[in-house]
Amino acid sequence: MGQILAAYSRGLKEAIRDKASLFWTMSWPLIWLIIAALTFVGDVPQEVVPYVRASMTVSMMVFALMIAGMSHLPAGIAWDRKNGLFAKLKSMPIEPYRDFIGRVSAVGTFALLAAAVVLVLGFALGARFTGSGVAIPQAIGFLLLTIVASAGVGLIVGTLIRKPQGAVTTGVAIAVILAALSGVFAPADLLPAPLQVFARVYPISSARTSIVYLLVGPDAVGYNPLTSGQITLTVTLSFALLLVGTLLYSKRGWSLE
Amino acid sequence: MTILASPDMESRWLQMPAIHVEGLVKVYGGRRVLDGVGLDIQEGEFYALMGPNGSGKTTLASIIAAVRTQDSGVVDVHGKKPALARGLIGYVPQESFSSTELSARENLTYFARLLGYSRSQAEQLTVEMLERVGLSQDLGKRVGEYSGGMRKRLEVATAMFPGTRVLILDEPTTGLDPGARRSFFGMLQEKVDKNTTILLVTHIGSDAELASRVGLIDNGRIIAEGTPDELKRKYAVEDAITVETAAKTEGVVSVLKGFDVGGEVAELEAGYRVYSRNGDRVLADMVRTLDQAGYRVLRIEMGRPTLEDVFFRLTQKTLQGVTG
Repeated sequence: MGQILAAYSRGLKEAIRDKASLFWTMSWPLIWLIIAALTFVGDVPQEVVPYVRASMTVSMMVFALMIAGMSHLPAGIAWDRKNGLFAKLKSMPIEPYRDFIGRVSAVGTFALLAAAVVLVLGFALGARFTGSGVAIPQAIGFLLLTIVASAGVGLIVGTLIRKPQGAVTTGVAIAVILAALSGVFAPADLLPAPLQVFARVYPISSARTSIVYLLVGPDAVGYNPLTSGQITLTVTLSFALLLVGTLLYSKRGWSLE
Repeated sequence: MTILASPDMESRWLQMPAIHVEGLVKVYGGRRVLDGVGLDIQEGEFYALMGPNGSGKTTLASIIAAVRTQDSGVVDVHGKKPALARGLIGYVPQESFSSTELSARENLTYFARLLGYSRSQAEQLTVEMLERVGLSQDLGKRVGEYSGGMRKRLEVATAMFPGTRVLILDEPTTGLDPGARRSFFGMLQEKVDKNTTILLVTHIGSDAELASRVGLIDNGRIIAEGTPDELKRKYAVEDAITVETAAKTEGVVSVLKGFDVGGEVAELEAGYRVYSRNGDRVLADMVRTLDQAGYRVLRIEMGRPTLEDVFFRLTQKTLQGVTG
């Protein structure tokens, strides 16, 4: 447990103190939220604007989690490999899975902090949520699923892309492109038909839609994401991504060959 | 200064070596980086592995440190496979692995916690160790604000926790100023006094001179082994003459070859190195011949051969950083 806590503490401190991570994970979604909340509501009836802003806030919270998992996590892995930390760790009596748990937990905590900051800004910009009671823990559950899936992608990127700058760029590119294609930035029903299918399959988009459905209302999304089939698909694919990432990282993440 | 083995070391040499390497082979991309290396380092011994870049020394150290695996051959650390002896090994790789976002105290506490110390034990040990490496005044400062030498001392401290019996240091003095280097070797002497085995990987002859035994490695093979004095006596009995001319040309080399005992001239960053059995008699003649050939001599000096000279005499290759 001490080894996991050591990796967790190190990872969290680094994330909070590193200006690049703070920018990409916190500032970037905040900037986008301000731009979107103030400019993309021109044609929207006044009484609907707070709910549109709530929906945008959820999107940017999910985006912050995606950036943390898909870009910050692999960048940290690639830097630690380049700087010789993995060489040092391999010479010590620590198993990669312990470092992995600490590392992913730290990124998860950092991501949730970023999401919380985005939420506060969303409220400040006038976002209004309707969900209450059981909807809130359910929404938090879907947020955690987003972290699980993003961390899975991040572990895959961090294991396969060996250079730090390459890992950052690839992570950000994957996060932005997948978010755009899967309706994280806009309601899924505005997407072309093939992408609407992708939006339901891509677990992060499905989780985002579920959160909006729970906290803003069914009118804000184009379909019901809370059917048992859809939830099973989202949960299964999120953990499948994490599993693939974990296996790759455990086998190849520390490899220096 | 030579760092001496601990007093009762000789009797222990009869026992099992701390590091045993036999027939070690490692192939990268079809190239045999290690080509049947054999090596025994006794407990409490300070052994320097010296060779140029690409000679295989870092690969060898990393295999002993359980960081890489060999393709064939045997490696034992205190009778165990390296992967099973991790608790005994303190390894400092060449790269700067400490986190620049954390303080020295936070960095060291992290490694102590990884080694299984409780939070309070780790914090106490950290303060003690930072004091020993001379960083107690700066323990709360972010490592990003440290000089290269301070950072290296911190990283060496990560390998010196109690329980470490084998210390493997890969190019640890790179970037150290003379004062930091002296204090670094003072720290190593303390570890040797406590019977810790040290494997120092270096391309710097003056670092290797401080070891009790030196192995010269080239092309993945140990080409010579012995105490620094033994190596110099056996392979470099001549005087070493350093010559610096206004221009470095083939013509200068051609003249100098006539004075070298083996007809080989080592090229340095500034000038050349020539070996002669009668240095004091040759000097004046060498200056005169160069002058007559039109090459102005800026500096010429004669000294005792170094381990870098030994390496050159054996391989006709210079080590990076060879100086007169």
